Amino acid sequence: MINFKKVSKIFYPKSVALKDINLHIRPKEFVSIVGQSGAGKSTMIKLLTAEEKPEHGQIIIGGWDITNINQREIPLLRRQIGTVYQDFKLLPKKTVYENVAFALEVCGISSRKIKNIIPQVLKIVGLKDKHDRYPHQLSGGEIQRAAIARALVHRPKILLADEPTGNLDSLNTKDIIDLLLKINEFGTTVMLVTHNKDVVNRIKKRVVLIDQGQIISDQEEGRYVL
Amino acid sequence: MLTSFFRVIKFSFQDFFRNFWLSFVTLTIFILALFSINLLIIFNVIAKTAIASIEGKVDIALYFKPEIKEDQVQNVQRYLQSLMQVKAVDYISKDQALESFKNKHKDNQQIIESLNELDKNPLGASLVIKAKSTNDYPVILEDLSDPQYNNLIESKDFDDHKQIIERITGITKRVSNGVFVIALIFTFISILIIFNAIRMAIYTHREEIIAMKLVGATNWFVQAPYLLQGIIFAFFSLVISVIIIYPLLGFLQPYLALILESDFNIISYFNQNFAMIFGLEFLGAIIINLLSSYLAVNRYVKV
Repeated sequence: MINFKKVSKIFYPKSVALKDINLHIRPKEFVSIVGQSGAGKSTMIKLLTAEEKPEHGQIIIGGWDITNINQREIPLLRRQIGTVYQDFKLLPKKTVYENVAFALEVCGISSRKIKNIIPQVLKIVGLKDKHDRYPHQLSGGEIQRAAIARALVHRPKILLADEPTGNLDSLNTKDIIDLLLKINEFGTTVMLVTHNKDVVNRIKKRVVLIDQGQIISDQEEGRYVL
Repeated sequence: MLTSFFRVIKFSFQDFFRNFWLSFVTLTIFILALFSINLLIIFNVIAKTAIASIEGKVDIALYFKPEIKEDQVQNVQRYLQSLMQVKAVDYISKDQALESFKNKHKDNQQIIESLNELDKNPLGASLVIKAKSTNDYPVILEDLSDPQYNNLIESKDFDDHKQIIERITGITKRVSNGVFVIALIFTFISILIIFNAIRMAIYTHREEIIAMKLVGATNWFVQAPYLLQGIIFAFFSLVISVIIIYPLLGFLQPYLALILESDFNIISYFNQNFAMIFGLEFLGAIIINLLSSYLAVNRYVKV
């Protein structure tokens, strides 16, 4: 599903974010990418969403080589991947419904279809009754749920979560992780980037440890051990 | 495509009204910029009308020798009327000249008595020439220096007016140049203000623009609502500045009528040139808005 082949990313002049990364993530897998701040975890997400391009190596998603993806293809790539961020990246002047709808509107989906899909997605994330609220009227956990709903609404095969619990308390963190696990059970490949030890240890799925831009360990049903 | 087009329109208006205070401030800046340009237009029109009004009062009088016959004077009149620099030539006959002279000095008994002593009318006929522009008077006088005409003329009063005409011509040129420079400065400042207002408005949306891009929006889908909003700003600011400017014109009109001593009506001027003035302002505002919106959004869509 996701394939990094000897991928290196350098932020000039001489900051090496990733060095010769080889990583294969299979379909329907749940993988936690762990490591300390600055280890290069988020850079992997940015490479997958084409926010950044690698200096060396090859990145393939579902058979699509995105290593040198051109500007016109980037929106098409992003519409096939769901992404959740630590800072949520919701549109503050749009309601929960409108935020989720936006991800479909950019794809040109008809309003009738949007009206059918969104209530179902909001029900999955538990925000059906708060569809008309603006982000500032929600709690941190609810905002992240709305962001997950937006990431899921176009039924992506891959969900990338970049520190999704970084701004949440422990109760909301648990809810969000449970939601990600549930999404994975439905068949979506989930790549979770985190430095939260408790979260990783509770999931009991594959764990890839990164340090100074290199993969240190890669364990099935692993734990976050430094 | 059509669905996306309607969504762009929806997003433009939605953003305009949901960011009410930001829209209000941006709109106010636009209105002030357009208002200052309209003030400049008013000033320019008043200055030109005032100069034209003074220019209209300047003329040259040619006093013919008393022995010159009427048909000779009328020949000169016809010649002058054929010149492209001449606007009008009025003929004052010997009798009219005498009548006018008597009227002018009716309180001076000594002059009246002296006139009555004379057998003949001592005054000659005269022609009063109005040129199209004050710059044309020297050309007309040059034509009249031909001996064919010059020998018939006893005196010209141009020398008395020469200084006034030169001063008026100088003032006209200086005012025109001044207005041009002020217009340039005003336009430049207005462009700069509008440009910055748009950039500031879009700067506050930068996180949203990035978020839109990250969920798969194309550059066009992100940029188009802001470009359309630029047109909305231009339209509303123009409508509001028209609503403001007309009462101001109504307020100014009575004073202008007094000062300019003419039948000039600034409201009629704006009515007659409505499409030209406000059409150009609208077009200019749209071009500046589109350009500044495009440049400002373009900075953040490169995600």
